[in-house]
Amino acid sequence: MELLLQTLLNGLLMAGVYALVATGLALSLGVVGIVNFAHGEFLMLGAFLSYLLFAFRGLDPLFALGLAFLAAFLVGALTYWGLIRPVLKAPELNQMLLTFGLSILLQNLALLLFGADTRVVAPPYQAATLALGPFFLGAVPLGAFLLSLALLLSLQLFLTRSRLGLAVRAVAQNRLAPGLLGIEAEGVYLLAFGLAAALAGVAGVMLSVMLYASPSVGFLFTLKSFAIVALAGLGNLKGVVPAALVLALAEALVSTYLPGGGGLVEAVFFLVLFLALVGRAWRGA
Amino acid sequence: MRGILGLLLLFALLPFLPLGAWGAFLLDVGLFILLFTALALSWDLVARTGQLSLAHGAFFGLGAYGAGLMVPHLGTLPALLLGSLLAGAGALLLGSVTLRLHGLYFAIASLAFSEVLRTMALKLPFTGGPIGLPVPPPFGGGWPLASYYLAFAVLLLAVALSLWAERSSFRLAQAATRQSEAVARVLGVRVVRVKLLSLLLGSLVAGLAGGVYAMKALFLNPYEAFSLGRAVEALVIPIFGGLYSTLGPLLGGVVLVGLEQALRLWIQEGYLVVYGALLILAILFLPRGLLGLLGGRRG
Amino acid sequence: MARVLEVQGVSKRFLGLLALKEVSLHLEEGEILAVIGPNGAGKSTLLNVISGLLRPDGGEVRLLGRPITRLSPEARTHLGLGRAFQIVQPLPELSVRENLLVGALFGKPGTSKKAAEAWVEEVLALTGLEARAEAPAGELTLLEDKRLELARALATRPRVLLLDEVMAGLRPKEAEEAVALVRRIRDSGVSVLFIEHLMPVVRALADRVVVLDHGEVIAEGPYEKVAREERVREAYLGRGA
Repeated sequence: MELLLQTLLNGLLMAGVYALVATGLALSLGVVGIVNFAHGEFLMLGAFLSYLLFAFRGLDPLFALGLAFLAAFLVGALTYWGLIRPVLKAPELNQMLLTFGLSILLQNLALLLFGADTRVVAPPYQAATLALGPFFLGAVPLGAFLLSLALLLSLQLFLTRSRLGLAVRAVAQNRLAPGLLGIEAEGVYLLAFGLAAALAGVAGVMLSVMLYASPSVGFLFTLKSFAIVALAGLGNLKGVVPAALVLALAEALVSTYLPGGGGLVEAVFFLVLFLALVGRAWRGA
Repeated sequence: MRGILGLLLLFALLPFLPLGAWGAFLLDVGLFILLFTALALSWDLVARTGQLSLAHGAFFGLGAYGAGLMVPHLGTLPALLLGSLLAGAGALLLGSVTLRLHGLYFAIASLAFSEVLRTMALKLPFTGGPIGLPVPPPFGGGWPLASYYLAFAVLLLAVALSLWAERSSFRLAQAATRQSEAVARVLGVRVVRVKLLSLLLGSLVAGLAGGVYAMKALFLNPYEAFSLGRAVEALVIPIFGGLYSTLGPLLGGVVLVGLEQALRLWIQEGYLVVYGALLILAILFLPRGLLGLLGGRRG
Repeated sequence: MARVLEVQGVSKRFLGLLALKEVSLHLEEGEILAVIGPNGAGKSTLLNVISGLLRPDGGEVRLLGRPITRLSPEARTHLGLGRAFQIVQPLPELSVRENLLVGALFGKPGTSKKAAEAWVEEVLALTGLEARAEAPAGELTLLEDKRLELARALATRPRVLLLDEVMAGLRPKEAEEAVALVRRIRDSGVSVLFIEHLMPVVRALADRVVVLDHGEVIAEGPYEKVAREERVREAYLGRGA
């Protein structure tokens, strides 16, 4: 019983970061209408930024959080401006090929620059735990969870309370009738794409401590985020959090209870994705 | 058509050309060009319906492992056939669920499919896991040119399929499905069937290419056989050469695979940087590839 | 007369909003029926439900006596339903002739290539597109686009033809030609259901009119009768009062 609860607790904490990354993906998909295969590479960027600052400047990853947010936002906005904007009206196949190409390019650039090794950022508090009755909470996963929650709440507030946020939602709903919003839509696209990247960048800093930085760390999160978004339903931002919870809990359960589950954890997202799609096909969406 | 025949003739005769000291190396390069061009054509066959397959590396790997596991028991040709059917079964499993849905679901699921198959190949008890799987050469190794001509046969099959799809009324069904599924359906095109058939045919060819690759490489490991790089290659070649055509992937294959073999001499890791960059540049500036540059008109 | 198309109690919801509310209507063999109504009345939704691009939440659609509510769009086309879109959607990389050939080849399964090609020539002649047969469909003028849209639906050899504002944007003279064309199509044995904003066209073409407002049928009958009804005028002039 205690093992089960501890497992669920671990899953819950992981769900926060998952939701953060997947929300970014859902934002670029729902608002800009782009399937961004390179979403995880923004995460990788954040992770390596955190690593470099820590390794060469001795900077605490807490500082890297803000920097990664800004840097990823900038890179996301530039990506939109230079690469996505020219193909907004191109066939979907071309759009997906473009972002896939970007993902391959960035992953392999990182491979050339840093090699395939995984690099962990280990601040003094990395292994700290809090005891909660019979349970243990890692200080870093708990912090990451709370920060993710706070970021998601701010995003929610931004989208529902601010003028700019309302514009973002309006564009998301009118995407099927392009050309109506003209130049305003361009600004909103830029903002949404930048924000999506920024969320991933922050998640990357968290993961550099909880997991590691490596050229392929983002790619895995792209896939997991796709599974979450498929489960939530396209363009459904609110569904992302429960869907992230489903994936994270399923992974936690598999890794605890399945003999030799360690390796198969990386197959759980596929099962979730596949079942979500079977459900969708069944309903005839 | 003349370009296609010329290239095929060149490949048919390559082993008999006086290539001197470079002969063995060029023959190896030629074999890889044949296999990866066939893979690229099989990808293009799916792309003609507007679907982005990121699973062609997985079909290739399924064919490689299927053939590799079977060849000691069944002999060369039945093993190749079984490997190909294994890839086809994977494609049907993947496609029958996702091809009913919006195109982006297929693209995403096909990518996830590749990742999961690598995990499976690493974990399953009979694949040799991360250590790998030794594969005997075709026909017991009695004939040195066997793998080359097997590869040539796979390319011939891919070209024949591609030409059939280009010249029969299947072309209109594929083109209509690609350009607007809603319109195609209202005009009576059974779009799910068209997509599924294209994927099945593509995966069978990709599986065959994988099988021959296994018998040439003599050794398989999951990272190599199910590498994402293979899926990237399968799509960069047609895009660079010219989408939705037979000659485009042929041209692209000769140029890019040749280039890749040279690049690999310089850099071991990260050569995919070139493919990523090429992909982006081609989509932005050369959507019709080399063929478009040469003024070829596609229909 | 036989009812070639019947819509019975069809409802459709979007995000909680009722776009169609128990809509019932029918089309007689050889008839030209107009469905009119203000913007957002649910006319295009109705056509999408009939042609199978949308699933209704309730109700039934019958084509030539057969229930088709659960059939795919392509299966409906095979049974004799044709559809022209409001927003013209040519298959841009194919020529005009190839666009029609798609409909002629796949509209009725088992059509031979020869038969399809011969039928395409007839449709080209009927719709006045012969001169543009080889042009890429992505390079047509608006008028040619509209003709292609109609011709392509015709190429599937429909028994029932759905036309979604195919005359929008045409000049009066062009609309007149189009009206004559639709009549010729009807005279060749095709029953027609069309959506239209231009009242002169409705008046000239329709044997009967159905008026939709807020997803409900509010009036039905000959144009002259319907146009006089109070509810119809309110619907069109706004209901601020």
